[in-house]
Amino acid sequence: MILNIISILFFTAILYFSSSPLVFYLLNGLSICLILLGLFFFLGTSIGVIRFPDFYTRMHAAGKGDTLSSILILFGIALFVLNTGTLSIGLVLVCIKILLIINFIFIGSPTATHAIMDAGYGTEVKHWTNDSEGIKKKK
Amino acid sequence: MIWQFDILLLTLVVVCGFVSLWIKDLMGAVIVFGAYSFLMCLVWTGMGAVDVAFTEAAVGAGVSTIFFIATVFHTSRTIRYNKWDLSTKFFSSIICILMGFFLMVAIGDFPAWGDALSPVNNNVAKYYLENSMEETKVPNVVTSVLADYRAFDTMFETGVVFVASLVIFTLLLQSDGRKKLMKSAFQKVSFLNVSESLIIRKACGLMVPFMQLFALYVVVHGHYSPGGGFQGGVILGASLILLSMAYDIKKVFARFHMKFMIKSLAVGVLIFAGIGLICLILGGNFLDYSALSKLFPSMGSIKSRYNAMLWVEVGVALTVMSGMFAIYTSLSSNGKFEEGL
Repeated sequence: MILNIISILFFTAILYFSSSPLVFYLLNGLSICLILLGLFFFLGTSIGVIRFPDFYTRMHAAGKGDTLSSILILFGIALFVLNTGTLSIGLVLVCIKILLIINFIFIGSPTATHAIMDAGYGTEVKHWTNDSEGIKKKK
Repeated sequence: MIWQFDILLLTLVVVCGFVSLWIKDLMGAVIVFGAYSFLMCLVWTGMGAVDVAFTEAAVGAGVSTIFFIATVFHTSRTIRYNKWDLSTKFFSSIICILMGFFLMVAIGDFPAWGDALSPVNNNVAKYYLENSMEETKVPNVVTSVLADYRAFDTMFETGVVFVASLVIFTLLLQSDGRKKLMKSAFQKVSFLNVSESLIIRKACGLMVPFMQLFALYVVVHGHYSPGGGFQGGVILGASLILLSMAYDIKKVFARFHMKFMIKSLAVGVLIFAGIGLICLILGGNFLDYSALSKLFPSMGSIKSRYNAMLWVEVGVALTVMSGMFAIYTSLSSNGKFEEGL
């Protein structure tokens, strides 16, 4: 949580002290890379939710992939916002708001996944085993 | 707005609407309905109505989904088959198709989107857009229209929230005699016996203060950015609902007592109407805030309008917060106010 704030401050300092176009292109490239990586993980998440055999493994895919990919995309957007136009306090404030959303997702999404898992375990949803129906149907 | 994105969103909205009617399992229908609300929120953001989108995200996708879940939890999860069902469905579908046909015909008479000559843009809206900044010094025109120019509408909307939550509260409130009657009438179909999780409690304890801080920011900062009393109040109520889901309702009532809840429900409307009444006493029209400058001569008419808007928003937030929490507690605990979901 503190790590992303420190990194955004670091990037802000870089933008503040150097005005060469190379920094602009590098930061843009970094934000594009982060967003693409996030989209890739989102794809993996949706494939996992569709393809995994039972409730628990599906929740595993949804919880992990969703959290990581939304954090990556939001961080990429924060860098992109920081890089548009001239650096001002308003842009840094928008950046910090996006970082707060990241922190919220970082706490909230795994907790929600845990709550759903716990409810599933409490109501005795059957978990997948090697010899259960999922395998038999495929044969 | 990009039209490809628009068409994709609208298709998804229609699909979600159909699916939520189609599904037999009511819990699934509620979740799909939440997704529908969130897609509508995206559509409104694309059209530039960020305040409406904010309200839809907080009320439609957030709190009302919880209300539906609480209602489904205490009634029935599946639709019961009825002999008369098919004929009534046939009849109502004919009515729906006819109604939809007439609405579709009427679409042709609408002015184009953003048309300068349409009646909407020619009457009072033009005056608000041009003079709001000079008369009230509020950059967000939505707030100045809602809380100043059209304060009468907003006051009665607050009244509607007040009356609705009071009605739900009094209808579901159980005395000892009615408890037995209710037990036979409502059969619990599914009962989740979820173990009390330390992880959920700690995470909620970590999140709730920040949620409330954000809600206060939304209420106070409504003059400058999207937001205001309704949105902030709903977020405040949602933080209380989250606490009562993670612990139980008794724990929250220890801090925020039921009597206090009902009182603040009324006090919010009282603040709104009281400010209007003070304006009337001071010689202006009802809810004409510029009359308040006689009470506080240092403020002047512009500053007094600006400040009165803030107080009105605080009143709205109070009513909406305790209204949401009252509806949730009475729905989720079936009027007993003990455990909840």
